[in-house]
Amino acid sequence: MLLFKQSLVINKRRFTLGLSAFSGFLFIALFFAQSVHNYTNWGNKDYVSTFVSIFFSLGIAYSAFSFPPFRSKEKSMAYLMLPATNGEKFVYEILSRIVAFIVLMPLLFWTVANLEGTVIHYFFPELTNYKFSFSEGFLSIVKDGKFEFWALILTLQGILFIFIAPFAGASHFSKSPLLKTILTFSVVMLSYFLFTFLIVKSFNLEGLHHQRNSLLFMKDSQMVIELLGIAMVIVNLTLLTIAWFSLKEKEA
Amino acid sequence: MIQIKDLHFAYPRQQALFSNLSVHLEPGSITGLLGKNGAGKTSLLKLLTGLLHPISGELSVMNHSPRKREVSMLSVIFFVPEEFYFPGTSIRNYFRAHAPFYPRFDIVMLERILREFELSDDKNLQRLSHGQKKKFLIAFALSTRCRLLVLDEPTNGLDIPSKALFRKILAGSLDEDQLVVISTHQVKDVENLIDKIIILDNGEVIFHHTIQEISQKVSFISGTSDDRAEAIYSEAVPGGYRLMVPNILEETEVDIELLFNAITNGHKIG
Repeated sequence: MLLFKQSLVINKRRFTLGLSAFSGFLFIALFFAQSVHNYTNWGNKDYVSTFVSIFFSLGIAYSAFSFPPFRSKEKSMAYLMLPATNGEKFVYEILSRIVAFIVLMPLLFWTVANLEGTVIHYFFPELTNYKFSFSEGFLSIVKDGKFEFWALILTLQGILFIFIAPFAGASHFSKSPLLKTILTFSVVMLSYFLFTFLIVKSFNLEGLHHQRNSLLFMKDSQMVIELLGIAMVIVNLTLLTIAWFSLKEKEA
Repeated sequence: MIQIKDLHFAYPRQQALFSNLSVHLEPGSITGLLGKNGAGKTSLLKLLTGLLHPISGELSVMNHSPRKREVSMLSVIFFVPEEFYFPGTSIRNYFRAHAPFYPRFDIVMLERILREFELSDDKNLQRLSHGQKKKFLIAFALSTRCRLLVLDEPTNGLDIPSKALFRKILAGSLDEDQLVVISTHQVKDVENLIDKIIILDNGEVIFHHTIQEISQKVSFISGTSDDRAEAIYSEAVPGGYRLMVPNILEETEVDIELLFNAITNGHKIG
């Protein structure tokens, strides 16, 4: 609680300026996108796709700079010496960098988008689809309007992974955390695929899929989704554990 | 308060900085930690505050392992590093945000020290000069009334009047249950302030005595080349020599610089 209070007292001006600047940028970006679509060819789906691209690109950048004190030695020392437990510092960082972003960003987008739509509609009445709704937008993407449990888990974990991976990278790398995180994950993925490729080649497993009408022990796509869902949960928990130990064992 | 026994520490891919280092310090003193460049003074301070982790050995600060950085320890110690960072906020906002972390924080003391240092609490910290920032950090550190105050080169960047003020404020702001460890090259700045001296050399404590013990054993006098034969150690100064001689007559003020040079050149005070 003290960490939140401290951050609010120190950064309230920066928060206000940041939110105002972002709202202004979003307003202009939406106006520009609508003008490119001649106002008439603009709908809820376009709002959603704009939101998704901003949400993920900004979210990755924002979480990649978690633990901002670790970017310099002097800030690190001040942060590590602050009388709060590692647990409190860790939870504060997750809440402020991931949870707050996931909760507040849609709210901010919704507010700015509807405000912008109303204002632009006043000046350009040809913009008729100016009311933005998340549920309408997403339901139009999800065809039948329902999610399976494991598909939902996989989707949620996938979204969380996009934020947790740069978060873990930021806890570990002091300089250029985003670049180094991307490089690390690229190396891990390449190694994994190379390893799988070599295993398949060495044991001559290429025909297995066709022979038994299944991929190794997985019989259908549902099982693949379940396995991937479980794998994503494990990956996310592992990344959070890495971030926790990076903070706990951090030296100045 | 501080118990170090057989401490071993090395930076990654480097030779050991400390091997079997042992030190014991009790509250109620201002201890000067002296040493040549690279002797390990700052590293030792960082080990004490949990900013570095020992490889092996025993290190305890108020019965806490600094490595764990427990709140109960962090709230009663304060480290003033040589280089530090302040956010872009006013002095008032800074202490409003940080004071609640320190249960013994004394706002009246902070206001008094800020007045003595001529710092106004509506000033933005990032617009202050390095010396002013340092004065604020020292003021804040003292106001936490922490049990262990660790100062790394506290007088670097302070102007001459501020150095004198620093000595006066530090001496007048401490309680019996507090321990201050000051690491410095500027030994003249802490003369008449410290009451215990530790000298580090090649990762070892080569000297650990109180000022009183030193005064009882040796005297520091000025003399001529004729007096050098009697001296444990001497240095040429304009107009003669500064001499460290066995104390047979009377106690003199300890010339820390001369003592430091004598000890690091292999002399003993007996």
